[in-house]
Order: sequence, then C-alpha cells, then structure tokens
Amino acid sequence: MLQREDFPFLGFGVGLRRPHYSHILEKHPAIDWFEVISENFMVAGGRPLEVLDAVRAQYPVVLHGVSMSIGSADPLDRKYLRGLRALARRAAPVWISDHLCWSGVGGKSLHDLLPLPHNEETVRHTAARIRRVQDILERHILIENVSSYLTFRTSTMTEWEFVRAVAEEADCGILLDINNIFVNAFNHRFSAEEYIDEIPPERVVQFHLAGHSDHGAYLLDTHDHPVRDDVWALYARAVRRFGAVSTLIEWDDNIPPFAVLAAAAGRARGIYESVRRECVTADGARA
Amino acid sequence: MALALRNTQTLLYRLITAPGGVADGLARERGLPRGGLEAVIGGDARLGAASRLDIYANMYFYRLLEILKEDFPALAAALGPDNMHNLVTGYLTEYPPIEASVFWAGSHLAGFLRTHPIGGEFPYAADLAALERAIVEVFCARDTAPLEAAAMRAKAPERWPGVRMRAIAALQVVETKWRVAAALRAFESGREWKRPAPGPSTIVVWRQAAKVFYREVAALEAGAIAKLRRGAEFGAICAAVGRALAHDGSARESAAASKINAMLARWLRDGIVAAPGARRRRP
Repeated sequence: MLQREDFPFLGFGVGLRRPHYSHILEKHPAIDWFEVISENFMVAGGRPLEVLDAVRAQYPVVLHGVSMSIGSADPLDRKYLRGLRALARRAAPVWISDHLCWSGVGGKSLHDLLPLPHNEETVRHTAARIRRVQDILERHILIENVSSYLTFRTSTMTEWEFVRAVAEEADCGILLDINNIFVNAFNHRFSAEEYIDEIPPERVVQFHLAGHSDHGAYLLDTHDHPVRDDVWALYARAVRRFGAVSTLIEWDDNIPPFAVLAAAAGRARGIYESVRRECVTADGARA
Repeated sequence: MALALRNTQTLLYRLITAPGGVADGLARERGLPRGGLEAVIGGDARLGAASRLDIYANMYFYRLLEILKEDFPALAAALGPDNMHNLVTGYLTEYPPIEASVFWAGSHLAGFLRTHPIGGEFPYAADLAALERAIVEVFCARDTAPLEAAAMRAKAPERWPGVRMRAIAALQVVETKWRVAAALRAFESGREWKRPAPGPSTIVVWRQAAKVFYREVAALEAGAIAKLRRGAEFGAICAAVGRALAHDGSARESAAASKINAMLARWLRDGIVAAPGARRRRP
C-alpha cells in the first residue's frame, strides 16, 4: 500500500537540461532538487551519466520517463524496464514517474504521449500494467496526467475520474501536472477547478508547472514559455487542496538561462508560503 | 478489451504517421468503423476529429525532424531545409522509430542515404551522415579506463610484444568515399558548409574525458587500428606495420620502429587503448 510519507516533500525544483549542465556543476545553484528525463540517461556511458552522478551527489533527483507507454496494447517493454531499473540502481532517485498514456503500438514508437479512452476497461488494463512495473522496479511509481488534443467516443468517465481510478487500482502515486489540467480544460471544455477538487490528496506526490502556447482553437503544451498567470492561479488552488507537494518547473524548448527557471521555482515557493500563511491565519481565526 | 484498444491505437498510429498527412491517410484507410473517424474521436465546432489528430501528426514529424537535425547538423546544413524535410519524410516511412529512446531515431539514416536518389546531387551525404552518427554513438558509448603511458613504460620492453591490446568501447572507425572529416571540422568551426572533396578516407572517432574527437588516419594506421579493435597483441600490430612498410618499400627497420613508437604514443595520448581488464571507468 502506497505510504504518502515514503515520498518526502522536496521543495521546489527544475528539470535538469543539457544547456544548464555546466552552470549547475560549476556554480552549484541554490535549488531544492532536480528531475531528470530517464531516457536521456539510459545510455552506456559518457558525459550524461557523469553529469547525473555529479548532480546526484549534491541534490535530490527524481527520474521522469517519457517512454514507458503504460497504456499501450503492446506487451510491456522489458528491455526498457531493465534499463530503467539499472538507471534507478545507479541514480538512487527519490522516486520514478512516467505518464498515463500510450506512446506506440505494434512495436513502433510515436515518441509522444497520447491519451487513453477513459473507461473501466482501460483502467483495468493500465492499472494491471502499472502494478507489474512496480513489481519490476520494486517501488511505487507516480503517473502523470497528460495534455491532450482529442478524446475518445468510448470514454465513459471524466479525465479526473480516470486518473483517480487508475491510481487507486494500481496503488500508485500521482504526478499532477497543473498546466496539463489547464490545457485540457480549455481543449475539452471542462472545469480545471473541479478536476483539482476531485483528485485524492493522499496520492498526489508531485506537481509539474510549465508553459503552453495558445493556438486559438486549442492550447498546446509546448514547455517553451513561462508559466501563464492562469496556471499559477490554478497552482495556488492545488496548493490549498494538496498542501506541501514537491513542485517542479518544466522547460524543454527555447530553454532560458538557469536563473529564469530558478526564479519560476522561487515564485512557486512564494505561492506555497503565501497559501500556508493563509491557512495558518484561517486556523487562528477559527481558533 | 485489449483488442479494442489495440485496434484504436493501431488506427491512430497509421493516421498519425501517414506520409501524406492525416487527410490522405483517412482517404486510404480501410479500417475505419461506420461513422468514420468521428465515431472514434470526438470533435467539436472549434476543431474536428481529423484536425485534432493532425496536431499529433505534426508533433510526430516535427519532433523527429528536429531530433535528426540536431544529430546531423552538417547534413542538414548541406542539404538545406527542403531536402532535409523530404529526406526525413521518406526515412520515417522506411525506418519508423521502434526504440523507446529517440537516441536511436537516426541510426539507419546513413544506410538509407546510400540508396536514396538525393545521392545524385549530394553524393557525400551518406558518408557525412555516417560520421555524424558515429559521433552521436561514441558520445554515449560505454566508459572504458584507458591504458596509461606510465603503465606501458612500467613493463619491461621484452614483454611489450606480448601485451594484448584492445580499443576502448567509445571508438568507431568510419570508412568514406568523400573527405567529410575536413568538411565537418570546417562546419563546426563556424565556417559555411563547403562540399567535401572526393577521395577515400578512414576516420577514427573516439571519446576522451567526455569529449568526442575525430581524425582521418592514413592506411598504415588504419590497418593498425583495425588490429587494435580485434584485440591483437602489440607484437602482431608492430609486425603488420613493419610488413606494410616493407611492402611499400618506403622505410628501413629503424624508420618502422620510429613510426610504431609515434603511433603508440599518439594512441596513448588520445586514450584509445583500453587498460587491461578495464570494463568501466567507475563502478
């Protein structure tokens, strides 16, 4: 059974990205923790692993995968999972996460995070696979809600009901991407606030915050902009509901100087502390 | 259930990767249910089902195009954007990604180029792609502790011929018909892309202290490196070099020894000889 206390509050981190390697190794910037893309380090040797070792020696690190394809109709990729387990042994991450999605089928990969039909059958299919992955990795993993641009006619439940049902049946944690909720709420016309309010707090271990692009008819989860004000507002709501949850700024394209990411992590910290003060004051007033 | 999910995912995969785009894929598709794509994917007034799938199709292609441009920057510069775009379109049809990591996305590009019509206008493209791919692979190849010069010097000279030598894991040899190493070096130093000169070359690509290097080697050294990669004894490498020089008639014994010494010194300086029993630099 997933124990929330097995997942400590790490504070406010950023994704470890190549343009910042030298800065991080030379300057040791004040940042609480790093998230690394697992696949970037599932290599035989060379600089990526040297960097990971050096960063791991100084900061808490979590592994975040993009290729588990946990919702695919294909068999689980054992070679991939062996590689991930080997990387986890080397890096000793605080936790491992991937996405609630499918990335390929028929032995071929789209290198993308595609949504699943939200229904009971997909819940059972996906949850059973997450359980097998957790057995192989010998730990509970987190699954992340993905951004999406389509929905399936075979869906019989809301996205948040689906995320909740999979996490509960698989007994795994949730990495709640606040930007993805905002993007999907626009693209599929649902209430982002209702989504936040319906996710079970005891399973939420990590938040993601990122930027998106507005294409008029839809929002695209591009990770190449600052976090939008509307997403910050939604984050404040999430902090009120879920409390102290490790928060990470994602930025994958047009990556700015490290200081910009660190400032965004600082803004997340500011919101968290402000909400915490609100709560203390409210408790005091009630007392 | 698994069948229904498989059918849905397989249909979406076919449409997303259709070389002519989703609309063209839909026109050719025979696996659609009654009601068409709209019966599978929900659309609305803002965005129909096909347009929603188009978002994924565009992301699929442009993500991989960007990755291949990043892995093959000189090739992309040499071909220009339109040719690169068309090349990648054909390449992804022939070699769709099958590995979990995008690291492998470009692993067949050099081979694909060998028979591609674009070779008429850019006959060096396959060689250039082979060199750039070797650089990518060597960058992430297994770490091997290199043989240090001091370790070699510590051995009694009479034992040197019996020392079994092998190359580090992070070393590849690329045989080309065009002098792409010089062209790539010029490109990397910020000069405009310049067509390589024709002529066979052997290029050694290796990693030392996390940095990747490459250089053209002459036939004599290429032969010695081939022996090194097969794990030959130092004496056998020396004998092969000696025979090659004698056959060439270009050097006396003392000159051969001098060449061998210079070659070994360079290899040790470059760190391309693995230390005996070395597997990894660090546990």
